[in-house]
Amino acid sequence: MNGTADIVIVGGGAGGLAFAWAVAGPEVKVVLLERGEAVDQRRSPSLEPDWELALQTTFNANPNLRAGSSDHPVDDRDTPIKPAYYNALGGSTIRWGAHFPRFRPSDFRTRSLDGVGQDWPLSYGELEPWYDINDRMMGVAGLAGDPANPPRAPRPCPPLPLCPATEQLAEGFEKLGWHWWPSDAAILTEGRDGRAACNNCGPCGLGCPRHARASADIAYADAARAKGVDVRTRTTVTGIDFNSDGTRVQALTYLDSDGKVGRLNCENVIIAGNGLGTARLLLAEPRYRHELLGRGLMLHPTAIVTGFFRKQYKSYRGAFAASLISQEFYETDTPRGFKRGFQMQALRGQGPLTTAQGGYGTRLPWGGDHTTAFEESFGRTISLTVTCDDLPEDENRIEIDPARKDRWDMPVPKMIYRLGENTKAMRRFGIERASEALSAAGAWKIAVTKLSRTAGFHLMGTARMGRDDRASLVDRDGRVHGIENLTLADSSVFASAAAVNPTPTLQAIALRAAHAMRIRLGLSGVAAR
Amino acid sequence: MTTDDLLSILLDTLLPGDEALWPAAGQHGLAQKTRDMAALAPGGLEALETVLKALPSTLPDESRDIREQTLREIEAAEPDAFDKVVTAAYNAYYTDPDIRDVIATLTGYENRPPQPRGYDLPAFDESLLDQVKARGPIWRPVPDE
Ligand SMILES: Cc1cc2nc3c(=O)[nH]c(=O)nc-3n(C[C@H](O)[C@H](O)[C@H](O)COP(=O)(O)OP(=O)(O)OC[C@H]3O[C@@H](n4cnc5c(N)ncnc54)[C@H](O)[C@@H]3O)c2cc1C
Repeated sequence: MNGTADIVIVGGGAGGLAFAWAVAGPEVKVVLLERGEAVDQRRSPSLEPDWELALQTTFNANPNLRAGSSDHPVDDRDTPIKPAYYNALGGSTIRWGAHFPRFRPSDFRTRSLDGVGQDWPLSYGELEPWYDINDRMMGVAGLAGDPANPPRAPRPCPPLPLCPATEQLAEGFEKLGWHWWPSDAAILTEGRDGRAACNNCGPCGLGCPRHARASADIAYADAARAKGVDVRTRTTVTGIDFNSDGTRVQALTYLDSDGKVGRLNCENVIIAGNGLGTARLLLAEPRYRHELLGRGLMLHPTAIVTGFFRKQYKSYRGAFAASLISQEFYETDTPRGFKRGFQMQALRGQGPLTTAQGGYGTRLPWGGDHTTAFEESFGRTISLTVTCDDLPEDENRIEIDPARKDRWDMPVPKMIYRLGENTKAMRRFGIERASEALSAAGAWKIAVTKLSRTAGFHLMGTARMGRDDRASLVDRDGRVHGIENLTLADSSVFASAAAVNPTPTLQAIALRAAHAMRIRLGLSGVAAR
Repeated sequence: MTTDDLLSILLDTLLPGDEALWPAAGQHGLAQKTRDMAALAPGGLEALETVLKALPSTLPDESRDIREQTLREIEAAEPDAFDKVVTAAYNAYYTDPDIRDVIATLTGYENRPPQPRGYDLPAFDESLLDQVKARGPIWRPVPDE
């Protein structure tokens, strides 16, 4: 099957759908190709008695363990942090926690300020209007005025509440005189646009039947379709056809939902397959070569420190990942022995089964001590992540294994990652501070998970942005150096990782890149809905 | 002794419960459900067979301490298989309605799926932030902005 389009977007996740909505208009034919299916969140497993099992099966964040019909294997033997993402319309935001922090201005200037990593060819100020548009589209709850960040526009909805356990934690931060603030969350606290307000149920990662928790499909897919975007699910892009000198993409080849090969001739191509999927697609294409492609993978190594309290707080109530943050230790302070810093993010408790299986840490012991351990944990814990800034290091990378093919005849990607010395020092310091905060809050016991092995969900930096075409792959608009019509619109373009979750930033970048493309095409710029 | 009897003894050793409210997993009849749960994970049933095969035939006659000691040795010898079996056992136990009732009795847990009812969503209490605000800005300005 052959076809043509003005603009084709590969990947219908956080970046791809934001780009599609923003670039669309009556003047252009836009097609979005997504390998996964549309997920009906109105039928979330959170409505079922055995809801917790879905976290291990159909909603398992690790594609190797989930092994669904849209998932391909990832060779993860050479990384202590395992891949975590979701292949579906909405991408990994189907599975995410909707914690929605922005990068700070300094995150875009780590080389000039601290002599590490790379500067971006973009600034916070340039991205700010796109953050704001994205906040309105996704539907963000929060509170402006956080002293750890530049002033920002009033948040579209009031913040989510703390719960009794996170109030206790906030008291700990107060005792120490440390910063804390309620998280920005892509979760509605007031209903709008056919979406209900959050009802504090907890397991956002199972999809939200109320559509209160935003995901890219809920926030952007219908809005994109309304602007004429042809959204095709279960369509896997398998190849990129370049012209003879490799300076222009002519067409994409794909396998459709019936397994038939298709070809789409296109004027402009956008790849938004996430830091792993985008790199893999380009690595598989012999006509495109850049020595940094796939390199500089950043993952935010995360330690999790859990405090146990005597009181039964029912800490499983409320959005698991969005309550409070602390950015007290975010910036470089040389005597600490490392550059850059970390964020602490509160995580609530979990359901009974997940508590027994260890939640964010180690599984509860079997045998005679089991019931005591359960009673001490369930509803009585609150955790702090130590989310470490991650410097781009070339040895950390995505590769492909040409000898091993998946069901779509694509080479299997390989994740290769090790923790840098800077990160290890930061993590040590961060674990001490998180333990201090939990002790100040009154925890009687503290358990430390030094490295969350399941936390490979921020896949950044494998096709970094920059001014110099030898030291970077794309320019400030996400356009691949040396190829006139290829743009990347996901967190693969990140030049630094910051110490916060990447989605607001990658979506702001995607919206800005779509705007730049419209201007290049002689069309009007992007305006908020 | 059938394999299910053996599996029940294994479960009773993993999750022995207590004298008060918590039942022991095997006596509670969770052998078949544990098999079903093992089947959910890649390699889960094979892991269960591996562990069952490693159990000595004398296990039923042993004391609780010896049973536990025996399982710890199998865990050390076959860590991956044992891990999958424990996962399956916990899955079977903690999705059982009676066990959820015990949790409800002990903790006030609501014993229902999180949706559609959810829980209350009170308003955020901004007065909690008075001191944080009073301490003033801590973000780092960047020269070229
Ligand atoms: C458990 C979990 C919790 C998370 N929590 C948070 C959080 O609280 N806050 C936050 O900011 N971030 C969070 N994240 C990360 C967040 O989901 C990602 O940063 C974000 O979704 C990445 O956007 P993306 O567009 O780069 O990729 P994705 O959203 O992953 O989308 C990429 C899409 O491309 C598709 N694709 C790939 N290759 C092809 C191909 N060849 N053909 C067709 N389609 C293709 C994939 O199927 C996928 O749908 C979390 C992620 C997980 C897994």
